[in-house]
Amino acid sequence: MRDDHPGQVEALVADVVPRPSGFGRLLCAAGASLLIYAIMFGAVLDRPLDLGFLQHQLDDRLARAATINGPKLVILAGSNGPYSHRCEVIEAMLALPCVNGGVAVGIGLDYLFARWRAQLHAGDIVYLPMEQEQYTAGRTAEALGPDAAIMFRHDWTTLRALSPHRWLAALFAFDLRAALMSAIEMLMVAAHFHDPRAAVTGTSNAWGDHVGHTALLGAPSQTVIAAMARPSASASGIRDGYGTSVIVGFLQWARGHGVRVIGGLPTELDQLPRPEATGAALARVYLAHGGDFLELDNHSRYPLAAFFDTPLHLNEPCQIAHSILLARALAPLLGRTVREPAAPGDDCPSVTGGTTAGETNH
Amino acid sequence: MLFSSPVFILGFLPLVLGGFFLAGRFGDQRAPLAWLLAADLVFYGWWNPWDVPLLAGSVAINHLLAQCIRRRSQAAPPKSAHPASSNPESSNPESSNPGSPTPEAPNPAAARYWLIAGVTFNLALLGWFKYATFLLHIAAPSAPSLNIALPLAISFFTFQQIMFLVDSAHARHEPAGPLPYAAFVCFFPHLIAGPIVRPSEILPQLRAPGLARPVAANLAAGTSIFLLGLGKKLVLADTFGAFANTGFAAAAHGTPLTLIEAWYAALAYTLQIYFDFSGYSDMAIGLARMFNIRFPLNFNSPYKACDIADFWRRWHISLSRFLRDYLYSPLGGSRQGEALRLRNLMLTMLLGGLWHGAAWNFVAWGGLHGVYLVAHRSWMRLGCRLPGPIGQALTLLAVIVAWVPFRADGTAATLQMLRGMAGLNGLALPQMIVGAWPPLAVIARPVPVLLWLGDAHTLSLPEVSACLLLGWLIVLTLPHVHELSERARGWALTAGFAFTVQALFFAPYAAPFLYFRF
Repeated sequence: MRDDHPGQVEALVADVVPRPSGFGRLLCAAGASLLIYAIMFGAVLDRPLDLGFLQHQLDDRLARAATINGPKLVILAGSNGPYSHRCEVIEAMLALPCVNGGVAVGIGLDYLFARWRAQLHAGDIVYLPMEQEQYTAGRTAEALGPDAAIMFRHDWTTLRALSPHRWLAALFAFDLRAALMSAIEMLMVAAHFHDPRAAVTGTSNAWGDHVGHTALLGAPSQTVIAAMARPSASASGIRDGYGTSVIVGFLQWARGHGVRVIGGLPTELDQLPRPEATGAALARVYLAHGGDFLELDNHSRYPLAAFFDTPLHLNEPCQIAHSILLARALAPLLGRTVREPAAPGDDCPSVTGGTTAGETNH
Repeated sequence: MLFSSPVFILGFLPLVLGGFFLAGRFGDQRAPLAWLLAADLVFYGWWNPWDVPLLAGSVAINHLLAQCIRRRSQAAPPKSAHPASSNPESSNPESSNPGSPTPEAPNPAAARYWLIAGVTFNLALLGWFKYATFLLHIAAPSAPSLNIALPLAISFFTFQQIMFLVDSAHARHEPAGPLPYAAFVCFFPHLIAGPIVRPSEILPQLRAPGLARPVAANLAAGTSIFLLGLGKKLVLADTFGAFANTGFAAAAHGTPLTLIEAWYAALAYTLQIYFDFSGYSDMAIGLARMFNIRFPLNFNSPYKACDIADFWRRWHISLSRFLRDYLYSPLGGSRQGEALRLRNLMLTMLLGGLWHGAAWNFVAWGGLHGVYLVAHRSWMRLGCRLPGPIGQALTLLAVIVAWVPFRADGTAATLQMLRGMAGLNGLALPQMIVGAWPPLAVIARPVPVLLWLGDAHTLSLPEVSACLLLGWLIVLTLPHVHELSERARGWALTAGFAFTVQALFFAPYAAPFLYFRF
């Protein structure tokens, strides 16, 4: 057995492998960095608690939609979709299968629509109570949402179907915080960390509705919600937003495929401003491109006590009450008879009697 | 044009560098300097073209003043008195100053008057643009603002030129013609935020015969130092900046911060300002190296300092050096007894604080450091010594506390932040953590999320904790960029280059360098 001195080995290696010059070393380092980055985020690092949670939610809802034969109602939005809308109630009232397909604001609309198109057929109805941020989001911000990371790590099929700009954005969707959070989340899962979210904020039912977000659980967040003031988007912001252009593209696709799209307003805290011009601009997005727009008498605005943990998430009693109002308003639009629910939604202090009629613009 | 912007990195820098070397190849020695000066003015005017005449005027007047000083200075007779053969400038027509008047008899008193006039001119210029409204409001608090826009970099180019005038009076550097002088002051790598370099360090390099010849080693070293500085800024400083902004914005709105929220904001800002400014300095040093110019070190792992005096030998070294040589020493330094020495220390730090901005929070920051230095000096005179790690920890604590008034938006916000750091608003923890370990409920109030921590989501606490841990590990355990070997820099680039590219092209917004505002 040879017993080479380490220095001799190094010298030997140096003779065989040419030493890179300063610039060569620089290029090697840069190339290696990009390669390691792509491999780590594409195949090794993951965020099972954060992005994995979103991904599973979306997959579960798509799986439910795939099981439904015949016309169905799909609600697509940000997180106000599952938190403030109850497909379980709407389905029972309209006798129409319903899937609550929204997940979170920040999920790219092109990704959301790309995933859902395969499950939408002629005769289906899509209700879009999108949050204002979803209309006004810029192209780059939209391309760098959590879906970029999800696609780069787990869903290359959908990524390939999107634009090259999205490919590049997906590759560079990971910053230092993402790397650290990946390590933390993977360690937590490996250590059998018990995810407390179900106990703290509730969970999802078979329809994709968020459930269990009771007023009691939401009580500690009331002061937080009150502090979360945010300005309303302007009418021009809605009109010119990149998100709006994606929604318009979806409206055009839907019209071509016999899918009916009804726009709506997201649930919002009534203390926050929403200028009339902004509401009108939202309606115009749909009405000008072959869709309908449904605005409830209360404009989907509720007092602080109706909210759970953000100024967009109703608590469960108010989610049910809002869904009853919505189902009643949707019924004439869809030519359906309303079956009044056994529990009329009186637990929500902000909605009394549930007799409010829907107002439609179409 | 920020160093950290794509337009600078992909457009301006390659163009200027290429033009510089082309001018060096095909022109005489003036050509690359003229090209560089033109590029400097474009770089400076990119923010506000209306500031360019101010910079140009200041440079022209200071050059004239320096000539007046030098001509009358006893120690530096006019250049024409030197035999041409021994004149190092003889090959450089720009620096030979052909239009200069005939030699005059040395007149130190006149030189001193010209120096006073020059320093007064520079301080008046700085005072008008930077301190007029501040001083007016001290005299008449209800007076309306003068609405004077602060020209970019005025603090830096003013100090740079005061240094030049003083050094001219003491003949600490060779005379410089208008073009080398303007190229020295306006050299874009240090124009906006330093380092504040001595004329004697840079002017000889600008006159070196091979200045505009591309040197592969310098280009490679400069590029790697620049890229590492860019990473410090974009990847580290901006990450910590986002955390700091959340806490300090809450304090500015009068929101009571809990212990963790306040401390995390202060710790994040401490890292942000270090990575931001040292990253900027690294970029400046790297850029200068690409042009075959070597800048002095500006940061030497300051948070590793074992005492507060050591901190000031490591933090913003070029400013510390300026304050020591051009303020503390002229005030008398340590030559007039202990009491005056302490007074001079205090005055130097107060004025150093005020240099950072016309606001009381900067004075408070300077004053705190003055108190620290005075206390340290007194402690040393007693012959007491703290064990190294304790001294380092105490120094770091003092520095972190002093950053609070520096960053906070006013006195109320400072007090709000300090109250939180003192635990007077209690300790809150996410109920997720308290639920996982119930005994914590004895000392901590469970809350759904810590609203003023990171993005205020369920996992914000571990996320911010991990980021802070990484940041503090880097500053406390790793050598700084200039201590690294070429190979080690390669490894550092391997670790950070992809994140830098990510931040450069895909970060949600470009945050300006903190020191631009000073």
